[in-house]
Amino acid sequence: MTIKQVPDWFTKRQAAAAKAAASLPMPTFERFDFHRWALDTVAEVPADTTAVPTDLGDQNVVTFGDQTVHVQLSAAMQAQGVIVEDLQTALTAHSDLVEKYLMTTAVKYDEDRLTAFNLAHLNHGLLIYVPANVQVDETLQVLMVQNSLTTTNYFGHVLVIADRSSSVKILQQLETRGDQANHFHLITEVLALENSHIEFTGLDLLHQNTTAYLNRRGYLADDAKIDWALGVFNNGQTIADFDSDLRGKGSDSEVNVVALSGGKQRQCIDTRVTNFAPHSTGNIAQRGVILGSSELVFNGIGQIIKGAHGARANQENRVLMLSDKAHGDANPILLIDENDVLAGHAASVGRVDEHQMYYLMSRGISKPVAQRLVIRGFLGDVLVKLPSEQLRDRMIAVIEGKLKNELAN
Amino acid sequence: MSFLEVKDLHVRINDPENEDTREILKGVNLTIKTGETHAIMGPNGTGKSTLSETIMGNPNYEITQGDILIDGQSLVKLPVDERARAGLFLAMQYPVEIKGITNLEFMRAAINARRDDDDQMSIREFLAELDRNLAVLNMSESMTRRYLNEGFSGGEKKRNEILQLMMIKPKFAILDEIDSGLDIDALQVVAKGVNAMASPDFGTLMITHYQRLLNYIKPDFVHVMMDGRIVKTGDAQLAVKLEAEGYAGLRDELGIKAKLVDDDVTEADADDD
Ligand SMILES: Nc1ncnc2c1ncn2[C@@H]1O[C@H](COP(=O)(O)OP(=O)(O)OP(=O)(O)O)[C@@H](O)[C@H]1O
Ligand SMILES: [Mg+2]
Repeated sequence: MTIKQVPDWFTKRQAAAAKAAASLPMPTFERFDFHRWALDTVAEVPADTTAVPTDLGDQNVVTFGDQTVHVQLSAAMQAQGVIVEDLQTALTAHSDLVEKYLMTTAVKYDEDRLTAFNLAHLNHGLLIYVPANVQVDETLQVLMVQNSLTTTNYFGHVLVIADRSSSVKILQQLETRGDQANHFHLITEVLALENSHIEFTGLDLLHQNTTAYLNRRGYLADDAKIDWALGVFNNGQTIADFDSDLRGKGSDSEVNVVALSGGKQRQCIDTRVTNFAPHSTGNIAQRGVILGSSELVFNGIGQIIKGAHGARANQENRVLMLSDKAHGDANPILLIDENDVLAGHAASVGRVDEHQMYYLMSRGISKPVAQRLVIRGFLGDVLVKLPSEQLRDRMIAVIEGKLKNELAN
Repeated sequence: MSFLEVKDLHVRINDPENEDTREILKGVNLTIKTGETHAIMGPNGTGKSTLSETIMGNPNYEITQGDILIDGQSLVKLPVDERARAGLFLAMQYPVEIKGITNLEFMRAAINARRDDDDQMSIREFLAELDRNLAVLNMSESMTRRYLNEGFSGGEKKRNEILQLMMIKPKFAILDEIDSGLDIDALQVVAKGVNAMASPDFGTLMITHYQRLLNYIKPDFVHVMMDGRIVKTGDAQLAVKLEAEGYAGLRDELGIKAKLVDDDVTEADADDD
């Protein structure tokens, strides 16, 4: 634990979380059993002595295990008053802000054992704050590297707050350095206050021996918008809980998820959007590809709460399986408690179309390349929704790399 | 010069849905040399598409006897992609649509599949070649940026098959009813594309129901297929004769016991006379 010298409120909140953790149940996800992963354990490892590698990356923010390696904002971001701080610093410099929002609004610490665990055992965190009326043009790039040179589990927290009428683009990239087995436990709270706009991209590239609990939660005030683009390309066991709460009227969350499972990996992606407010919009589009003898479960949960008049909720979850040993599920769940709403869903679990493969191969294209093309085609309509061409190319490169490995076998 | 040989080919269809097993080709013999243009005509359901798909290597068709060879090398054990790289191309009667893959990247992948990793065609070279061929086929460049055949009209799909043919430049092309569904202008354009391929290193096998196509692409040989066999071979005049007389006359002349799909119609017509 590297967070020391904390304000009183934090000590108290942490103690409350520790107490709650003891009695709260684990969260559950439809059609997916992960109790054996023991995500509610803190590996007791002696103080971490590994040196921080010097070649991690030159993103605006780079973290390694429980350390923030650097924060380097552009002159423009600094001039606009954008705040990016290690949680340790933020607890002193912006204690009020952190006290107001840390596990009080988007994710509450007492939702389940894992949320409580996160706060109780927190060993690292970041605060990102964009002041009211500020439009940040450049993408804020955050690289978080799991330290797998040791077996220490990571419990991290990222708190993003876009204040009224601001806008910001964030790229959060997750990687692993080293190959020791451990847990990566990260909650990212994304608060979009009135009329703000956040483009949040996640690029998850954790190692095979990293077991991940990734909780990304959006909180949307009146007329706020969050565009999520999430690429789940981890090589290890993954629970990805991607939720958006449309609390403000006219708020809008667009959730685009692309995932790949391979080897013997098991991944559950549980994506929920809840319309609490009138005229709010939530759209979910998920595409998953399953190779080898892996498993991928997509739950899409669209929830419309009573009083959310004129709400819209749509979702499309599709899974493509490339092998007989693969296991996939695309599971739409609509929970609707209001009448004058528009809601719809589509889901499918399918295999590669043999006619398409034959056609491609009849032009001389080899089977692995043809499979890659068909997969790319399948992911295409979500990839085209990504906010920038650069990001799209980046995702495609990651997908091609992972497919090359998987299809070579 | 290269040879494509089909020797005593027998093909069975295994249709798992209807638990049906049927012999469709019953001993086909055919030799095509590069530089030659052949046409196959014949009634519906006699096995013309079966022959083309089997030569190409469609896994739904099972060869029970006979052989298919290019320059003496048997193809029957090779998967479809290797046959393509050995020089075969099939313009399909029903091209498949694939969403999410552009026509452009598909054609580049097809061309580069024939080249070594360190000898991939540059984008510039590819686009120059593409532009030339688009011009021949009166196709707009925007078609190549659309998803592969997705939402293409019937005629556009056929043109796109010929565009691929021109880009890939195989040794042997089989064109299965490339003229069906084409308007008169499109027919000429498609024929122009095929004729542009003419060379001593390129051989064509066209399947068609209409003699009209053969006015634009002149065949050296016309074969008639009936009941899973090639029953007669002649020159371009044979097609003219068939167009005028239909298949029933030829069948009876040759003493073949095949039933034609439209026998009832023909007999009804005969009664009217
Ligand atoms: N995949 C298949 N499954 C079942 N039956 C098939 C299949 N392919 C062909 N057949 C049958 O084999 C026979 C020959 O079909 P084929 O498509 O080769 O005929 P064709 O000569 O090309 O006819 P057309 O002129 O109508 O295109 C037909 O009776 C057809 O129904
Ligand atoms: Mg046919």
